[in-house]
Amino acid sequence: MKLRAKFRGVLVFLLLGMTVQGSFAESSGDLAALDQETQALKKSVLELNRDLFVLEEELLYPSNTQVAVFVSMDVGEYFALDSVELSVDGKNVSNYLYTERELNALLRGGVHQLYIGNLKVGEHELVAVFTGKGTHERDYRRGASLVINKNIGSKYVELRISDKEQKMQPEFLVREWE
Amino acid sequence: MLRPVANHRFSLVALLAMMAAAVGPARADGVDGFLVQDLHYGEVLFHFYKQDQFTALTHLVTARSQSRVAHHQDDAELLQGGLLLSWGQHEEAGKIFERLLDTTEDLSVRNRTWFYLAKVRYQRGHLDAAQRAFESINAPLPPELEAERYNLQARLYIDTGRYADAVALLNSWSGDETWSAYANYNTGVALVRMGELQAGAALLDRVGTMSAVDEETRSLRDQANVALGFSFLQAQLDGNARPVLQRVRLNGPFSNKALLGVGWADSAGEQYKKALGAWLELSERDLLDSAVQESLLAVPYAYAQLGADPQAAEHYARALDVFGTQLARLNNALADAGDGRLLKSLLESEPESTGGWYWQLDSIPDDERTRYLYFAIADHRFHEGLKSYRDLVALDAHLGQWSEKLGAYRDMLATRELAYAERLPVLEEKLARFDLPAMQEQQAMNTERTTQARENRDIVAVASAAEQKQWQRLSAMEDSPAWGSQSATALEDKQRVLKGVLLWNMDKEYRVRLWRQEKANAELADELQRAAEQFAAIEAATASLPGTVADFESRINRLEASIEQLQARLGVSMVKYEQYLNGIATEELVAQRERVKTYLAQARFALAAIYDRMAAQNR
Repeated sequence: MKLRAKFRGVLVFLLLGMTVQGSFAESSGDLAALDQETQALKKSVLELNRDLFVLEEELLYPSNTQVAVFVSMDVGEYFALDSVELSVDGKNVSNYLYTERELNALLRGGVHQLYIGNLKVGEHELVAVFTGKGTHERDYRRGASLVINKNIGSKYVELRISDKEQKMQPEFLVREWE
Repeated sequence: MLRPVANHRFSLVALLAMMAAAVGPARADGVDGFLVQDLHYGEVLFHFYKQDQFTALTHLVTARSQSRVAHHQDDAELLQGGLLLSWGQHEEAGKIFERLLDTTEDLSVRNRTWFYLAKVRYQRGHLDAAQRAFESINAPLPPELEAERYNLQARLYIDTGRYADAVALLNSWSGDETWSAYANYNTGVALVRMGELQAGAALLDRVGTMSAVDEETRSLRDQANVALGFSFLQAQLDGNARPVLQRVRLNGPFSNKALLGVGWADSAGEQYKKALGAWLELSERDLLDSAVQESLLAVPYAYAQLGADPQAAEHYARALDVFGTQLARLNNALADAGDGRLLKSLLESEPESTGGWYWQLDSIPDDERTRYLYFAIADHRFHEGLKSYRDLVALDAHLGQWSEKLGAYRDMLATRELAYAERLPVLEEKLARFDLPAMQEQQAMNTERTTQARENRDIVAVASAAEQKQWQRLSAMEDSPAWGSQSATALEDKQRVLKGVLLWNMDKEYRVRLWRQEKANAELADELQRAAEQFAAIEAATASLPGTVADFESRINRLEASIEQLQARLGVSMVKYEQYLNGIATEELVAQRERVKTYLAQARFALAAIYDRMAAQNR
């Protein structure tokens, strides 16, 4: 039995399989052609998806009545968010429980769209209740409210959780965007 | 040997993390300020940071088309390019990066863009252009990006034959150790494959002796030691191979290869008893591993070399039995690959989600047929193809969901139309009850009267109705024919007194009454204006609704047709991928079957030779 010869076959096989990241050179012509086709398909799907999103928004939330509420977070040292409960004109419209990954996304600067809906022109009261842990792991529940004046055109509201350094406690701000 | 997993995932995680670091909103506006200037950009970042890349990309594209990220133009462009690049959209990403370089003067954005462009060009095989892009980077990049740059630059040097430059570059690296470990490993293996054993061995040895803090780095260290050990064996440096292979953990994913190599190293030095120790241990392991299969021949070979023919014969007979079973299973797996069942079973356990950013097939279903694809998965072509195929399957499902939604929206529009038809007559009847023009005319007359009263200081005009009546009666007396006669003197005196008192009272109240009247006129004017606007809005809405519904219906029809068309194209592409992947799987299975057949032939031949020898000894 020619051990060395046989062994070399195994060796080449092992080494060929061991490059940790393939390079372009490994792609066959078939795969390159398929890749071109896939890229074109993905591009088309992405464009179609955009048109579908726009249609959906215009149909379900026309700009004349659209109201969207967003949640954002600053440092988060004095408050670890668990959930946000939102009411509009006394009616509960959203209860959102955040996952750890979502909290991390908020802390890094992401903004979560908590609610999107329709409201008539005029005044409306928004009440948000934030639940979580305050300093020393204590349960913390705070509310913030705002009366918005809905005009013609979309209305965006940001609920912002921020650390108030001086008082060493969280601060809940509500801001209207046009 | 699912070795691409760890590093590939690492590189993607790192790439996206550093993109996030790069595009994250500036906290320039202080503690009480807001971090993002466009809420919708923040919303995209939310999906991006929570690693839902497809949603991030689609929301970003939509938000940009609606001009909702105007304050983050460059960062949004760069983020979109990076997301597209990670999603395999090299061409679109490349166009974005080139456009960005033409339009932005922000050095930080420009350097990051040059890096991504270099990456795109490298992945597309445009090595010279990639090198030029690398050379255009004129300042250090963010740390994670810098690590990726070193890694890519090193690979580019290897691909263009500049080994010394690659090694010098890696030696100069002083950043993250995990990145440099992968870079050293890749470069080391590449150098060995190109015959540069000495240079490659130095890099692999560096990885093989590094301190490892987690399973990922321990696994990479084992992998480097196996690669280095086998490189030495191939170069017939058996003495060097053994200590390197012995560094591999006995229960790690690379231990089978290491045990096989240790046995070969001992065998090469005619240390058959020592070789048997490693091989016997190996032969008791999972028979699907090619190293274990090899050991089934290696064990009796060592026994035969030691002159233990009965044991050798016994083990060759076992090998024949095992290889026979393997051959039957491989034939079954080949039949599955032929009709596509193998591919379907690979994706069955995967949750359906869109986007292949983080996706890796970590493990193969523990099925006796699919497990033969163990080595096919390690094939870059197969893995990339499978990833794209999975993307297409997910996109097809995604479009299917939209299709269902559009159906629901169509029903919703039909309901709107019905409600419109039912409510319109009622509404029209209600509106008809209000004669708005008459009201407006009346209000205009009131205003005119008040204006006249102010100009003429007409205190009677703003007096109460009773006072006005009294005033008219008193004044009317003066028109009587008897007025001015002797007999009316007393009455005239009385009338004068009464008229004087009335005039006094009206004059006293004049200012207040005039103010009230003007205020009431203004309020009525406002109310009528609002009513007019509401009337106009209702009329506009009732008039435009049929058109709006028709517009939506037409858009839905168009989008449904596009979905159908795209799903058809996706279907065609998926079939091509299935054929392509089944082809690779079949190729791999055939190779495995040929190897097993060879093993079978070798085992039969060796067994016959031993029987012959034993028979000769007995004669």
